[in-house]
Formats: sequence, structure tokens, C-alpha cells
Amino acid sequence: MTLRRRDYRTVIVGAGILGLYTAYHLAKAGCGPLLVVDRGRLSAGGSGRNGGGVRQQWETRSTIRLAREAVAAYRRFGREFGHNLWFRQGGYLFLASHPGELERLARVRDAGRAEGLPVRLLDPGEVERLVDGLAPGACVGGCYLASDGTLYPYPAVWGLYEAVRDLGVEVELGVEAAGVRRDGRGRLEAVLTSAGDVTTPTVVNAAGGWSGEFSRRCGLEVPNVATRHEILATEPMKAFLDPMVVRVSDGLYLSQSMRGELVGGLTVPHPAGTQAGVPSSPRFVTAMASAMVGLLPRLAHLGVLRAWAGFYDDTPDGFPVIGEDPRCPGFVHANGFGGHGFMLAPSASRRVASAVLHEPTDLDPREFSPARFLGSGAAPSSERLQLG
Amino acid sequence: MVSAPLRRFRFGRSDVEARPGETVLGALARRGWPSLARSVRYHRPRGPLCGVGTCTGCLVRVNGVPNVRSCRREARDGDVVRTENSWPGPRFDVFGVLDVLLPHGVDTVHGLRRPSWAAPLYQRVGRRLAGFGRAPDPSAVSRPAGSRSLTAEVTVIGGGRSGRPVAEALARGGVRPVLLDRRRTVGPQEPEPPSIAGIDLLSGTTGAFLSPPRPGESPTFTIVGVDTEDRAVLVRSRAVVLATGGYDAALLFEGSDRPGVVTADLALSDLGLPLGRSVVVGGGPRAREVLDRLGAGVGAVVAFGEIAPEVVGAAAELGVPLYPRSRVVRAVGRSHVRAVELARRDGGGGFRLPCRSIILAHRRVPNAQLAFQAGAQRCWFDRPGAYYPWTDARGRTSVPGLFAIGSAAAPRGPPGPATDQLVAAVLGPATAPEAPAPTVGPPGEILPYYRELLRERRRGKWVLCPCEDVLLDELEAAVARGYRGIELGMRYTGVGTGLCQGRYCLPEAIVLLAILEGREPAEVGYVTQRPPLVPTALGALAALRDDLASEGRP
Repeated sequence: MTLRRRDYRTVIVGAGILGLYTAYHLAKAGCGPLLVVDRGRLSAGGSGRNGGGVRQQWETRSTIRLAREAVAAYRRFGREFGHNLWFRQGGYLFLASHPGELERLARVRDAGRAEGLPVRLLDPGEVERLVDGLAPGACVGGCYLASDGTLYPYPAVWGLYEAVRDLGVEVELGVEAAGVRRDGRGRLEAVLTSAGDVTTPTVVNAAGGWSGEFSRRCGLEVPNVATRHEILATEPMKAFLDPMVVRVSDGLYLSQSMRGELVGGLTVPHPAGTQAGVPSSPRFVTAMASAMVGLLPRLAHLGVLRAWAGFYDDTPDGFPVIGEDPRCPGFVHANGFGGHGFMLAPSASRRVASAVLHEPTDLDPREFSPARFLGSGAAPSSERLQLG
Repeated sequence: MVSAPLRRFRFGRSDVEARPGETVLGALARRGWPSLARSVRYHRPRGPLCGVGTCTGCLVRVNGVPNVRSCRREARDGDVVRTENSWPGPRFDVFGVLDVLLPHGVDTVHGLRRPSWAAPLYQRVGRRLAGFGRAPDPSAVSRPAGSRSLTAEVTVIGGGRSGRPVAEALARGGVRPVLLDRRRTVGPQEPEPPSIAGIDLLSGTTGAFLSPPRPGESPTFTIVGVDTEDRAVLVRSRAVVLATGGYDAALLFEGSDRPGVVTADLALSDLGLPLGRSVVVGGGPRAREVLDRLGAGVGAVVAFGEIAPEVVGAAAELGVPLYPRSRVVRAVGRSHVRAVELARRDGGGGFRLPCRSIILAHRRVPNAQLAFQAGAQRCWFDRPGAYYPWTDARGRTSVPGLFAIGSAAAPRGPPGPATDQLVAAVLGPATAPEAPAPTVGPPGEILPYYRELLRERRRGKWVLCPCEDVLLDELEAAVARGYRGIELGMRYTGVGTGLCQGRYCLPEAIVLLAILEGREPAEVGYVTQRPPLVPTALGALAALRDDLASEGRP
């Protein structure tokens, strides 16, 4: 594998949704030449492994704003990129299993309403009307926003991949970024790749589940933790479930795809880190099956068709990391999305592009900047709705 | 002899009688060719293809549960069986108009997004059309009863020619193995396998999940099996021997998805489908088996290459004409095969043979998916044209403790390890061969076959993946746009993502991609084999939750 050049204006590590979207914004702004490297094939990481949920219900204003912008962008995606995401706004329904969770969902509703989103709290009767065949007593209420939804992740990757290449961005798959070289003042000088070293003033770490590993390989200690999460899909059926259903108590989530498969996951703890790879575990499949049948008893004889796993890139406060690392000028973080990178990518990538261009953004640095982990002061808030 | 009482079940508006142990499909087949299914996207007529519980050609709704394979489901008194995905029925389905209105199919990756206000409409219609059956009835809540959990030193999966002797040898040696065998009710003639002394026999049980030992997670192999009654069994063992055999592969040609195109597996099963006059595709031992079974019912034998002497002899006795060096060009007929069009490879134009069925006996490929699920390294064999798990002379795969033998491990040819040698290796410490060497087999016929096929002018839809109605054109479009390799081909087109888990399209897609991309099949790669091997009921898996809950928690 030989690269077209030896020097680039920006090198992006990771050809997932975030890396490609960032490349798109930068290329549109005329900031070439750009190189995107990825050690795997297209959509091999989280961008090809997620459940396709896109929601705007969050606990913090900043995340809600990013999410709203992302939903608008995904609605436009077909026109802009010529690929059909089948973005279906069937709603997101959070289920509370006890009154304490309902209080928390009331705060989610308030946060959404403050941003002008018509989030509603539902009583159990209303929940049952939305979810046909719900087990009796399965919830004490829910929180619902009709404009949330689900999409197919793959066409988004195809569309962006083709768009950035049309804009002259070089995307090299099968090329691994091994680290960076810095000059005497600690500034970024070059990115070391398996296809040779390339000189660049800026590198963007958009490596998803492997971003913590890449930062550390570059000598930058970061609190990102890769955690394995698993998903399963059932046999396809005719449409019967419109919203994405998320249970607050155990993180169970499931939605019905356009193809009719039920696709969902459940939080089952695994040892942290990427060493074990992403195999699917019988422990998850059986726990997930039990949770699904508990919620919708009619599914007892429905077959699981396939199961797979991927990595979340978690941060301590639940906010992603967007911005230049103060320890290494030129090193820009675009990671730490905790399993929600796909749903926030269109808007988050704009801020990443701004950080690359040293333009001001509307992000609160206390929430998003990599500097927040370096000081002793804790962030003023945290985003804890890390579900679905 | 006292005959057991017949079972009586409801099919649509009629009552159907079944012999004890007979499957729903077997009982229906006695009334004539069973038209049960329509394809998922274009509502093309579909018929049973495989007869071994893998394809989507015989799906029915039984007692409010969708997508039940009628070739595996034993008929019981009072069962209510309905057809799915068609209105008013599969024989005449008004949605079949989609096939006519969309002669070149529909591009779901780029199409159906304009005007943007219509997107919700496309989605509503698409969701109604997608899927096979309706969601399970809310009344179909009876949970699969019970679950079992076993621990054994060794588990043998597959109790056929290769697996059973190994299980028996282990039992003789004082090791009580678990033996899983998927067969039990393939037809009324085949009795339930007898219990075997010294073996925990789980008959009628398909190994669906095979997870290898993982440091920090599980010290043993974890096997989840499921039976036709949706009961699950959990087996933990230190070593696993895969003796899962092979199956007859599909073959792509114009009309290859039409009812009446069946595999030799189905023709040789006891389902008793009325195959009528048939044309057998293939000139090897499998074609011979079909000839022996169907006799004068075979109207012709067609082979892409030469026809083996044993087939020539058997055909001569029956007076069956042979067509070597010929290629199937088209299955003629819409709702059922009426004829087959053939072309001599040395020129001379095409000709047509009337027939009611086309039996695919051209090549057998391995049931090796469990080995790949466990992460075993694979190697490509041009003959027959499939990936096999890499094995050494002792039957070891690249996963320590996992063995593969018989036709799941290698194409017909050199015999595998002797039973006592294998048993010694299985009971020894779990080791893997140092560096699996690439295996090169003799050249096969499937690459030249598809090379010729791709040169042909196409009319209508050539369905590469019958489960999901993925067309050959879509795979070509993916390659043309620069998406190379089977992993991207699968994600771009959906090929291999259907209910058969790619068993009837991935071997073909890999060969086709190799030709389209101008490289070797081995370079096209293989998909990550995601579990389970067969659709496994949620209720059955749920019953095992507590057995696995404590495993591998951080």
C-alpha cells in the first residue's frame, strides 16, 4: 500500500462515521489535502455494528442540541449524499420500572422541553398502546419523543465514503496509524502509519473503540475505556413495533428494523479493553433473550437470527471528547461517544472540523474539551443517559 | 402390526392427516406439490429448496408462531397451520404484481428517497411488505418447556458416518461424551435414533452456538443446542468434535429460485415431495445417489464437466440420457418449473427438456459454520468451491480443543484421521497446530461455470440470495462502486443475511466476487460467522440465562 503523498494538511485516524463526516466538512471547507486511514475495512468498527438508534432525549442541554442538529442532518442525508438511510422517525420510548426512574425521566422530559422538543411522559396505558403485547406490569410509565428514530448505518458510511472521495479526500483502508512524532516543542509533526510516515500539522483521533489505545500510543494518557457491548437480531416479521423501546433499569433496548428484524441489546458487563476482540457471548444472548421475553412474552418462540458485538468508547462523565489536546498541539480528539457516536456524528463532526481549523465552537469546554480530564476540578455536569 | 393413530391438523380451510412423526411439509406433500411461500421482496413464488430445515421455501405459521420450517416441524393433533406473506394465498398472491412492476428489482441503497415528503410513505409500505410472517400472536406465549445443562469431557456434534464411531469409541474408552444430532423427524421412515450405551445422546438437536474457551470468560467450550420443539440445551466441554457433514449447495442460473428447483438433499429426503420428471444437475457421486433413489423418475443428467463412469453406468441401466459438458441456462416456468434450457459448452446452441423439477447434485459443501463461529481458520478448496476449516492429520483445527472430521473437514478425497488416533488427540492436551499451511486442492468446476454465466445476457431477475431476494445485479453494482470483498458485498447488498445464514448464497457469492474482482476466491474472504447457526427461539435461550449468568463477569 502506497500513499499518494508524504504530507497532508490533516490526517484522520478512523474511517468510521465520525472520521468520514469530519473529512467531509473539512474537504467542503477546502482544507485539503486530507488523508483518512483505517486499519480495517469500511464499517468494521462501531459504525457497522451499532443498532442504528438516533435520539434527542438526553439529560443535558448541550447533548440535546447536538442531537437535534444530527436528526436534521440525517433527514437531509438522502438528498445530500444520494444514499437512502431509511431513517424512520418512529419515536424513542424510555420505560421506567419504578417511580424513582420515572422521576429521572421527568427530568429528561424537562430538559427536552426546555429545548423546545415535545417530549411526553406516558402512563402505563399509553405505553401499552405504543407497544403491542407488553407484559402486564412491565413498567410504571415512560418518556416518549416521536421524532427520534432509527436508521440503517451502512448506507451512511457508503454515502460519506463516496462523497469524500469525490471531494478529493484520500481514504486508505488497511493502513494502521501506529503513533505520532512530535517536534522539540511537543507540537505534532508527523503520523506514523503502516504505509510510512506522513508529515502533517493535525491529526484527528476518530478511532472509535480504539481511540483510547491510539491516544496512549501517542503518549497521551486519556480516561477513555473500551467496553464490549453486544446486539442481537431476530428473524424478520411484519411491522408491529414502531418506537425504539429502552428500559432504564437494565439498558435493554430494541427496535424493529425496516427489514422487520427486532434489533437490540442489553448491558452485560465484560472486562474492559479491546484485547479480547468482539466475540458474541452466550451469556449476553441468553440474558437478552430473557429480557426480551420478559418484556414481550409473545416473542417466546421467535428465533434469534444473529448476534454480534462492538466497542463503546466510554468517558467518565458521559460526554464525548472533542477538541485539541493541550498537551500536544495538533492532536485533535473526536472520540469518547460511549456508544452514541453514530447518532451524534453529523453535528459533532462539525465541531471537530472547527477544532481542526481553530475556529470557535458553541461547545462548553468544561463538557467537551480534552482539557477537562487534566485539571483537578470535576466537570460541572455529566451526561448519564447512556442507554439505547 | 398395530398402526398408530393419525395426527390431524388444520391447514387453511382444510384438515390434513399426518402419520405419527411426520412433518407438516411431509403431510402436505402427499396432497401434491406444496405451494407455501412467496419471496420477501418481490413475492416471487417459492418452493422448498433444501429439505433440511435451512431455506425459506417452506415457512409457515403454526399456532400463531411465524416462520416455522414445515420440513422440520412434526405435525401434531390440533395444529393450526397457515401460509404467510401472501394474499389471498401463495398460489395466487396479489403482491406478486411487484415482481412484474419491478422487472429489474428495486435499489434500496439509493432509491426510494425522492421526493423527500414521500419517505414516510415508502417506509410505511416497505415495513408492511418486509418480513415473512406477522409477529407472533399475543396468545402464543407458552414458553418452551424446560432446559438442560450438561457437562462432558467431549462433545461430538453430528452422529452420522464420521461422528458416531468417534462417540462410540470415546464411550468404550470410558469417557461419556455428549452426542448432538439434528436428525429425528426427517420423515416417517426414519425412526428415532436408539439410545447408545455410554453416550448422552441429544437427538433432534442442532448445535446453534459454539463458543470456544476464552480466558477470563469461560474455561470450556460452550455449546447451545436447540431442538424442533424450541427446547434448548447447554453443554460445556473441554473438547469438541465437529462431524457435521455437508449439504448440497445451490446454483445460480436464470430462474434458479423457481419452485421445483431443489437440492439433492431434498430429493433424497423422506419428505416425499412430488418431484415428477426431474433433471439432475451434476455428474458425480451425489448424482448417482439421486439416480439410485429416483430411478426412472430422472429424465436426464446434466453436468458442466464430464460425467463419472458410475453415473454413466447407472443411467445406461435406466435409459436416462446424459448431457455432459452442458450448462443449465434457464429454469422455464413461473409458478413451477416446466422445463429446463440447456446449452452445450462446445457450442451448438441451446435446447429444452421438459421437466417438473431440477435437482442440484453438482457439489456438496461443508457444514462448517460452527467451526468458523468458534474462530477456526479456514481454507478454500476450488473443488467443490467452498471454505473448509483448516485441519491437520489428527483432525485438529486452529482452535485448541476443536476438531473437525469427515465431510465437514475436507472434500471427498484422502480419508481423515483414524478413529483411535483422533480419540487420542481429543483426550490429549488441547493444542493447535503451529502454523496452518494453506491447502491447495484440485481445480474445480464452479469458477469456470460462473465465468460462463457472467458472460450471459440477463433477462429479468437473477436471484442470488433467495431468502432476501438479492439479485446478481446488486452484487455487480457493489463491485462497480468499489466495495470489494465478501464482507462489504454482504453489507452493501444484504446477500447472506437471510434466514438460511448464507448457506445457499455465500458460496456462490464468493466465487462470483472472485471473478468480478479479478482475484482468487480466498482473497475475497469470508464473512465473520455470527451465531447462531439456526434461528433459535428467544424463549429457549431465556431458559438458559441462569446457567450462564455467572460466567465471565469482570
